[in-house]
Order: sequence, then C-alpha cells, then structure tokens
Amino acid sequence: MLVSWNYRFRNSPMDHIDPRARFIFSFALLFAATATWNPIILFVLFLIAITWYLMARLTWKDTKVGWFMISIMLFTMIVVNTIITGGGAGGVVPPGGQLVWPGGFDLFGKHFTFGLTVERVWFAISQLMRILSISLAFIIIPYTMDSRAYGVTFSKLGMPDRLAYTMELSFRFIPTLARNFQVTLDAQRARGFELDGGKGNFIKKIRRVAPLLIPVTMNAIVSSEDIANAMDLRGFGEQKRTWLYELKFNWWDWALIVFSVLMLATVLLLAFRFDMRLFSVPGWFYGLFNK
Amino acid sequence: MAKQTEKKSIWAFGTKQVVYAAIGAALYAVLTWAFNVWQIPGAGNVGIRPAIVIPMFFGIAFGPIVGFITGFVGNILADMLSGYGFWIWWDLGNGIIGLIPGLFSALIVKYDEIKSILWGELSVIVGSAAGMGLASASEFWVSGADFNTVLLANFVPSFVTNIIWGLVLLPLLMIAYAAILKRSGR
Amino acid sequence: MSEPKPLPLVVKDLSFRYHTRDSCAIRNINLSLEPGQIMLLAGSSGCGKTTLMRCINGLIPHSYNGEMTGEILVHGQSIEGMKLSQISRHIGTLLQDPERQILGTYVLNEVCFGLESMALPRKEMLPIAHKALERLRILYLKDKETFFTSGGEKQKVALAGVLAMEPDILLLDEPLASLDPASAHEALLAFRELADEGLSIMIVEHRVDDVLAIKPEKVLYMEDGEINYYGDVAGLMETVDYSRIKLPAEVIARRAKGKVHPVFKPTVPELDKDSEPLLSFQDVRFQYKEDTPEVLHGINLDVRSGEVIAILGHNGSGKTTMVKHALGLLKPTSGKVLLEGVDSKKSTIATSAKTIGYVFQSPSQMLFASTVREELAYGPENLGFSKEQVAENVDWAIDTVNLEEELSTPPLALSFGQQKRVSIASVLSMRSRILMMDEPTAGQDYWNYKSFMDTILQTPGFDSIIFITHDLDLALIYANRVIVLYGGEIVADGHPQDILLDEEKIKKWRLLPTSLLKLNQELWPKTGQYMRAEALSQFIT
Repeated sequence: MLVSWNYRFRNSPMDHIDPRARFIFSFALLFAATATWNPIILFVLFLIAITWYLMARLTWKDTKVGWFMISIMLFTMIVVNTIITGGGAGGVVPPGGQLVWPGGFDLFGKHFTFGLTVERVWFAISQLMRILSISLAFIIIPYTMDSRAYGVTFSKLGMPDRLAYTMELSFRFIPTLARNFQVTLDAQRARGFELDGGKGNFIKKIRRVAPLLIPVTMNAIVSSEDIANAMDLRGFGEQKRTWLYELKFNWWDWALIVFSVLMLATVLLLAFRFDMRLFSVPGWFYGLFNK
Repeated sequence: MAKQTEKKSIWAFGTKQVVYAAIGAALYAVLTWAFNVWQIPGAGNVGIRPAIVIPMFFGIAFGPIVGFITGFVGNILADMLSGYGFWIWWDLGNGIIGLIPGLFSALIVKYDEIKSILWGELSVIVGSAAGMGLASASEFWVSGADFNTVLLANFVPSFVTNIIWGLVLLPLLMIAYAAILKRSGR
Repeated sequence: MSEPKPLPLVVKDLSFRYHTRDSCAIRNINLSLEPGQIMLLAGSSGCGKTTLMRCINGLIPHSYNGEMTGEILVHGQSIEGMKLSQISRHIGTLLQDPERQILGTYVLNEVCFGLESMALPRKEMLPIAHKALERLRILYLKDKETFFTSGGEKQKVALAGVLAMEPDILLLDEPLASLDPASAHEALLAFRELADEGLSIMIVEHRVDDVLAIKPEKVLYMEDGEINYYGDVAGLMETVDYSRIKLPAEVIARRAKGKVHPVFKPTVPELDKDSEPLLSFQDVRFQYKEDTPEVLHGINLDVRSGEVIAILGHNGSGKTTMVKHALGLLKPTSGKVLLEGVDSKKSTIATSAKTIGYVFQSPSQMLFASTVREELAYGPENLGFSKEQVAENVDWAIDTVNLEEELSTPPLALSFGQQKRVSIASVLSMRSRILMMDEPTAGQDYWNYKSFMDTILQTPGFDSIIFITHDLDLALIYANRVIVLYGGEIVADGHPQDILLDEEKIKKWRLLPTSLLKLNQELWPKTGQYMRAEALSQFIT
C-alpha cells in the first residue's frame, strides 16, 4: 500500500501566505461562523470563505473525495435532520411556525401532509452557509501545507518543541507503517487469513483483525527504542531547536492577520453587543410562501 | 531495558514519549485508512473502525499525553490521507478517547493481569463516552441540532462502535505488550 | 609541545551491568583507537557488543540505567557527565537499521536533524549538510523523500546525518545487515575513505569476511561480554573459533583440515525431470498500476519436486514480487502462474497455501498469538483442517524446530532466533509441499543462520524448497538450482556450478564473488562440485 499525500506546490496565492497566518485566519473564520445564526453575517462569511478557497486554486479532481464526505454530512444534517425530521433545527428554531404546505399537498393523486415550516427551510439555508464556510476554510489545509512546514508552524505559534516535532515525526513514519501493514497482511494471507468472510459470532469476527493489528502495533513499539536513541544521539530536546524549513512573514500576512482579527471582532460585536446572534427569518422570505 | 527504575510519572514527555506519540498517531492514521480501503468506504467519522483501539492502547501503555496526541493527531492525519478535510471536534474527541485511558495507566503495573485489563476496559468506556460526547456536543453548537438528534445521530453510533472495538481488541494488545516487555527484560 | 596528542578514543577497564540483570553485560574492556584507524568489533549475538557501543556513545548511562565502572576518554577527556549532544560532536553513531535512524521525511531534513537540535540558524546548516552529502557523493538525493530511497542510499543518508555533526569517531552497528552485496561493498569503501580522511571508525559486524576487504587495522573479538581477542587481522584468523564468525573460506579450510565434520544431507526427494511441475510461471509480466513501470518482464519458470532453488538478485530486482506471484498474493498483469496445474487467478490464497508455505523475512511481522501453540494452529485452522489434524501438525512443527518447551510461551516474548523458528514452524504446520523463504538468514548471526539452514534443509516433508537470498554462499552450499534476477528478468537459471562460474557476469548482476566461491573454483579440478569450506579442507594441500 503506497501512501500519497495531496500536497503539491501550485504557485497559488495560498502558497505565498505564511502557514501561521493561514491557521489564524481559519480559526478566526471558524469562531466567527459558529458565533451567530444571523443569515446576513453568515452570508458575508460564506463569501469570504469562497474567496479563500479559490485562492488555493485546487481542482475538483483534487478535492472530490473531501466534498463527497462533506455532502454526506450535509445531507444527513440538513435534508434528513432539518427538513424531514426537524430535529436538526430543534436546538435553534423554536417549535411551531408557519407551515410551508398548510393544507398538505397532492402528489401522484395522493394527499400528503408534511410538517415542514418556513422557519426550518430558512434555517437549512443558514446551516448550509455556516457549515460550508467552515468546510471551505479547512478542507484546503492538506492540499496546501507542505508536510515539512507543520513542525515549525506550530512551534512558532507557541507550541513546545517536543509537541511540534511529534507531528513532523508522524509524517515520517506513515509510509513506513503503511508498507509494514501491507507486509503483515500478506504474511497472514499466506497463512490462510481472508479479508472478508469468516465464520463465528460477532466477537469472533472482531477478533479476526488481531493478526493484523498486533504485529503492526508491536513492531512499531519495538522499533521506537531505536528511534528514540537515534534522536537522543543527535541531541534532540536539549535546547530550543531551529528548523530547516523557513517561514517568513510578508506584509500581506500581517494584513491577513489584522483582517482575521477584525473579522472575528466585528462578528462577535454584532452578535453579542447588537444582538445579531439569534436566528430570525426575514419578512421577504415568508412572502415567498404566502401565495 | 530503558529507564524504568524511577517512579512512573504519567505526565512525563521526553524523547521516548515523543516517539510513542508520533508512531501512535501515524499508526492510527494508517490503520484507519487501511481498514477503510477494504471496508465501508466513506464511513468516516462514525464508521466501523478497528483502529480506534490504537489511541486507547497508546494511552493505557504510555500515558495521557501520548494517548491524546495519538488520537488527536492520528485522526487529523487519517482524514488527510483519505482527503476528508479537517474536523477539529472529532479530532479532539479522538484525542480524549486516548487521553482518558492514559489517566488510568498509572494504575497498571503488569499488563496481562485481569485487574489491569478490567481497568483498561473501564477506561475504554469512560474515554469513549467523554470523547464522543464532546464531539457530538459540538454539533449542537456548530449545526444547531437538538439534543435527541445529536444523541441518536451522532453520539450513540460512534460511542457504540468505538466501545465494541475497544473492549474486544484492547485486552489483546495489552497481553501482547506484556509479552514484549518480558522479552526486553524491563 | 612535545607531549603526544591524546588518542581519539581510549576505553579503560570498562564493565557494565544493566539494573535489570544479575550479571555484567560487559567486563574489563580495554581498547584504543588512533586517528584514521578502522577497528572491527566482532562476536555473535549477545556477546556484549551493543552494550559496549552504548557505553561509548553515551546512551549508557543517559538512557539505560545500570552500574558502570572504568573510564572512557575522548581526546584525553572523560565523557562522564557530558551531555549526549556534546558526546555526539565527537562520536557519531550509525544504528543497525537505517529505517529506524532516519527521522526526516526528506533527505535534507534528515541530514539537518542534529544541526536543528543544536539550534544552528538555517544559513549555517545548509553548507554543513551539503558538505556531508557531498562527502558520500549523494548530494543528488537532497530533495528526495527518504522513504523512496534504496537500501544502500538510505544507509548513506543516515550516515550523512551523522557526519553533519562533524564527529571524528564513528561507531557503525552492523552496517551491512540490510544491504545487498554490491551496496555493502560500496558502503565499506565509503567507510575506508572516511578513515583515510582521518576519522577513527569502529565497525560492529559478524560478516568478518566481508569487512576484511577494507583491511581493518585492528580487530576486537568478544565472547560472553569479555574480550577474547584484541589485535591485528592475521592473529584473529588463527585464534577465533571459525564456526562462530564468518572467516575467509581459505582460512576455514586450512584450519578445519584433519577434523571431522558432520555430513549434511538435504531431504527433498530425488529430482525427476519428467514429473509435472509443482509451480509454473508462463510469461508472467507485472506492474502495480497502469501508470507505473513494469516490474517483471516475462518470467518463465517451472519448479519440480526435488529442487532446492536459490533466488539471487540485487535489492529491487523483483525477487519478492516474483515469489508473491507463486502464492497468488499478486496476480500477473499478463501471463499465467499455475500451482499444481491450477491458475492462480482462479484460486484463493488459502487454497494455494496448502501447496506453498511462504515464510516472510521478519518474524515480528506475523507473530500475534498469546501462545506459541495458538500461533502454530492459526494457519492449519484457517485452511480448515480438522481439530486432530491441527494438533498433530502443531506437534510435528514444534518438534522440527526444537521448541517443545516453549509451547505455552507468548511468541512475542521469545528471542529473535526463537521467533524466527516459530515463524517457520507456523508455516510448517500447514504441511505445504513447497517451502518458500524470503531472506531466511536475515537478522541472525553466522553461527545461528548456518545451523538454522542445516536444520530446515534436513527437515523431511517438502517436495521442494525455494529461498531468496543475497548471500552467494548460501546458494552454492544449499541449492541445486540457482535463479538470478536482474531488473525484473531471469538472467540465469541452472545448476550453481554452471551459473556461478563467470565472475564478470556475477559482478554485473550486482552480486559479489565470495571467498568461498573463489576457493571452490580453484579446487574445482579436484572436487568436481561446490562444497562448504569445512568440506574443502580435504582437498587443500
């Protein structure tokens, strides 16, 4: 099994933004978007998120798996929970409201009644904007971050060296462990292990993964003694380290950070000082349903 | 063979712990991804994941910090491998699934004793409840769903699958680990 | 001014006992190393060489606790109380497995790891890293991902990471273990070059024969934690037990003269050229994915009952890919693999396993059960054998590898050598007709692997045995057929005596002629067949 990472240098505007500034922006957007249900604010944030996403110049082919996941999530969250059952809106939208089809409707010669309210439709739209904004900001990270940049980024954001380096070291061992897993899988198949099938009850079926799980895990643990020695022998952790990977703030990075802070501050101010935090349906939207 | 004579501190984070955490996270990511390849694709966050036992085990074996990083970073990396993006709440939830067994690790001396295994099993249940609880609760905040929906659509499926895999597989890993410790004479 | 410069490394009366053990791992070690010298440190596993290295590089007492007496001086200064990073600016250590030493995802990051730890600014790091890479002539690898470098390259990358700390003493722990013969030879030449530049080098290695090619100035031979021999190479040849470490064939033959040696008799049945092939490759081609290059280019091969086949070839020549096809772990992109007449595309691996038992290289990649008995029963149970049959097979398998007393021990708690035997037994227990082994001697010392191979080849019950190896000597001692792979093609196939005659060809295949091969060729007119060194003793004068 060969692991492939999605990062590539695309010479996009995103590639020229300092990763620290990118993380600050992404989290500012996350907190801003989750601070309010006000549709206008959410709409503005949604536009900002789209702009941000476009700056990464990712193709559909790059990200389609991610969007597939997000679609599944949005479907359950919005179509199933909010539109059909109503539970998805229950935390925000008060019970009652104006029915979309007050008298029910006819379809294929049959009569249906369906308790969907105008409020829930509007809420679904707000939900969509909020979750898409967050998704747009975060889905691009693996495609736009060099694996060599994580350690120094988090270290410079104030994380202790040992923690920051852990992530970097994880990247190093992923392809090795994936290969080891393949070897173990082959070795056990040579002893008659089959991927699917297998008899026995529920617990037995679960235990069937043990011949794969145990060798790979124990092997990794045994090798960690040597790895730790290799690190100690080259002075790991004796003092604050430097990093080969170079980070450099440019004026636009500072601008982005200032923008992020202002964005978050404005949203928080509007939400909590001017009471624009709560869910409300604009009058014109009701109008669409009053024929 | 390594330094084992001093008192076991579960909060130590030296070179060894850095390696355990890094390897644990990488392993969790690889196994999640590998098992996804030949199981239900796209099952994602609440899928059928034998790999969930990895943060639990790394917690119980190497302490709360290692356990937390294994779950937290491992989940981030798994999502990266699969191209699923970045879901901070679920990452934190996975971190807690490793962190709580780590708190129990102080109680364990020999990994193949019945008593140790029972502590381990308890930590699986508490850890999963807390971790998936947090991740699910975040859905309140992010998506504005009501309590029942979060409970039924998010919490129950992820909690149940996690503890089933955890309860069955954790003892097996603990017993194997005890054997390794014997070999190295620690 | 007139005072002599202190030696780079002096060890005085060194003893060490691990906290968890009752007896000392090493006792009364004395040695010294001059600039530009290479010292070979030899001994079988468990002799204390790893402990000695850990004392010198500071891992003891920094990471391992115990009682240490004696003194280690680097340029006249005791290393006691020094930080590891201070020690490592004088003493660089290359661990056995470069796979575990390499910490960087990219080559340049790996080389800079130590410099980052010492908090050097980036602009000072780069020239040092470049110099280290240039010294080993691998600057072209600088932007490559470490995972995708070859075995030989990995080792050089790891070494560059050590050299970047600019040590003047190098400790190399079994540096040849993971390399094919040609890469091993290259690595050795690189070590010599470094010594000629003034570094003092200590090589731990049990492949003594190979290391002699670069003429180490000193040899230290250890047994049971003590120095058994310390002096020049010539003296070692006369004093050391030649069954313990791999000495040159002519030395073994000379010293074995007049002694009685047990007769070795493989137990596969007589070869019948007209029998149906057990395994047949018909123009097999393979590529992993459509857009990746082809790895096997038209393999044709029949395996019959009675054959003991050694598959030779450099790293990446396609050996493992080929044998994986035999079992159906990989299916040909075009062409056919037939196992007892059945196409691998139409059969499951579980069925194939009844015909071919495949032992993987590293036992730790397959052992999982909580007892040895359970481990051995896993295969036959998967194949659907009856309970009685499983029990019978397990008993026979454990008998064969001589581990009856460990049946209820967890396999993971055993030593490496025992684990290796359990991994073989767990394949034996399926009672397959063909035994196929990937690098059966990897990770074992000379004495262990020789007795291991003798046992396996003398185990009754196999129609044919196939093994992959780098080691030319194994092929010429044990096999009655040799297949050489080079770049995904079979370039030679036949009796070892016919295949291994042409030295030029052997070199071209990235295999290295060994002292045993040379001696056999010399004595060919008298012997008429290839033999092990002990047996050749009767033909030398």
